[in-house]
Amino acid sequence: MSLLASVGRGTIQRAEYIGGLTIQFYRGAAAAWRANPLTGSRLRWASTIQHMAVVGVNALPVVCLIAACTGLIMALQGGAELRQLGAIQLVINLVAVSMTRELGPLITAIVVVGRSGSAFSAEIGTMVVTEEVDALRSMALDPIEFLLVPKYIAMLLMLPCLTIAANTAGILAGGIYIYFTLDMGFALYIRAMLEALLLRDIVSGLIKSIAFGTIIVHVGCYEGFHVTGGPVGVGRSTTAAVVKSIFLIILADLLFTAFFYFFWR
Amino acid sequence: MSEPKLPSSRAHWASDAPIISVRDLVVRYGDKTVLDGINLDIFTGETMVIMGGSGSGKSTLLRRIMGIDRPTSGHVFIKNVDISCATEEEVNDIRRIMGISFQSAALFNSMTLADNVALPLREHTNLAESTIRLMTRMKLSQVGLGDAENLYPAQLSGGMRKRASVARAIAMDPEILLFDEPSAGLDPIIAAEIDSLILQLKSAFKMTIVVVTHELASAFLIADRMCMLRHGKILAVGTTEEIRQSTHPRIRQFLDRVPDQAAGGQDDYLQTLTKI
Ligand SMILES: Nc1ncnc2c1ncn2[C@@H]1O[C@H](COP(=O)(O)OP(=O)(O)O)[C@@H](O)[C@H]1O
Ligand SMILES: [Mg+2]
Repeated sequence: MSLLASVGRGTIQRAEYIGGLTIQFYRGAAAAWRANPLTGSRLRWASTIQHMAVVGVNALPVVCLIAACTGLIMALQGGAELRQLGAIQLVINLVAVSMTRELGPLITAIVVVGRSGSAFSAEIGTMVVTEEVDALRSMALDPIEFLLVPKYIAMLLMLPCLTIAANTAGILAGGIYIYFTLDMGFALYIRAMLEALLLRDIVSGLIKSIAFGTIIVHVGCYEGFHVTGGPVGVGRSTTAAVVKSIFLIILADLLFTAFFYFFWR
Repeated sequence: MSEPKLPSSRAHWASDAPIISVRDLVVRYGDKTVLDGINLDIFTGETMVIMGGSGSGKSTLLRRIMGIDRPTSGHVFIKNVDISCATEEEVNDIRRIMGISFQSAALFNSMTLADNVALPLREHTNLAESTIRLMTRMKLSQVGLGDAENLYPAQLSGGMRKRASVARAIAMDPEILLFDEPSAGLDPIIAAEIDSLILQLKSAFKMTIVVVTHELASAFLIADRMCMLRHGKILAVGTTEEIRQSTHPRIRQFLDRVPDQAAGGQDDYLQTLTKI
């Protein structure tokens, strides 16, 4: 009985969470329409650009470094197996396809969760605790429009860019392995890589990154807006934002991959 | 909706129709009833002080009057608009004639004082930036912070932050001004400064002012009328004089600063101990 009750309660809580996220998503979309930085007020413009710098530009070095390491790991792991089959040139395909379709978007998203998703929930959570969010509402300003929309627009613009940078870094790092094992020139490597890649691989990765960006911003902000219990709650919400975002990102990744597997070959 | 009843007594200059009218307001968190059927009328131009001990639900009441949270049941009418069941857009229209200074000041920590005060002007008016600057400086000097406009909230003392939040609340020249514990946690001199600031606003702008406080001296100084909140109910409403002369045991206890166990007898005291 208590097992049944706790399963039921858990299910209701998950459903409530997803419902809350969905409502926030629609309110965010409506507010983004009203406050898009091209026609909206100067303030949102400034805030969006500021977030673009923090979310995107500042994350570039670490994203590239991690992606490069991953590309090299892929090449080494794949090379070890493929060498035995005498098909070591397939390492090029392996690195190119897995970076663009899968690892580039995923690694970028996970780095950005750690950097920005947690920061979003901490920022908004602190504002909830200090009554700043209530102050916004008391001035007839919509916190979603004021706090979430600039982050969302910045994320939608920057995460795909970061993903492209990660793809590039990973593929170039794979080239280092090829250069030393096959003695293949870099220009030749690039040409072989381009042959192995389809536009679809890159585009499907970018579609994923847009979905991941949506998850990062909305989960981060949702956790922030729902902080209870003062400063301790802010810490809790930051952790929750990271864990839940990563889980939902992996889940979305699976769904998109399955979708592309069946419907876009 | 029931016709708001006129109270037995009120400040003679206040107009007839209540600008704020609270009807049967109930607020519950879980099974804890914080406000239990509040009825209160506040008239244009008067200063109403809501008194009560910590945790008696003062902030909760003020937040419903501002329309920040919805009540469990009951109504809050501001200028005859029921904000307890209006849409967020309708409430926003009403909020533009209201200003609030929160208990924790609630300044935006990422903005300078000037930007804090200028925010509602920038968002809700089409005034030129130079005009907004001028108005911001005016509001800040009105609360005695004319030379602090480029400081961030973290660089200010508690009293300065409180005053800055007043400047932000009056930025849009509201008709109704709400204060949550304006002088709590401040030293007596700064608390007195804030009281005189409220008195200034009252005489200069004829605003309707609602102040929540548990500081007796400041309450009696600024109030036209006051009400006593306890355990989610209003014990009494009346002019300062009526409250001062009240014989209600709980009000006397509050006014005479008698601790709970003395008022309730030994059994009550033991009960409060065992309850925790
Ligand atoms: N969001 C909330 N959730 C649960 N309980 C709350 C909440 N806000 C206030 N309360 C409870 O309501 C009571 C009154 O709070 P409050 O209005 O802040 O008191 P006051 O301002 O008079 O000190 C307190 O006991 C508090 O625990
Ligand atoms: Mg309070």
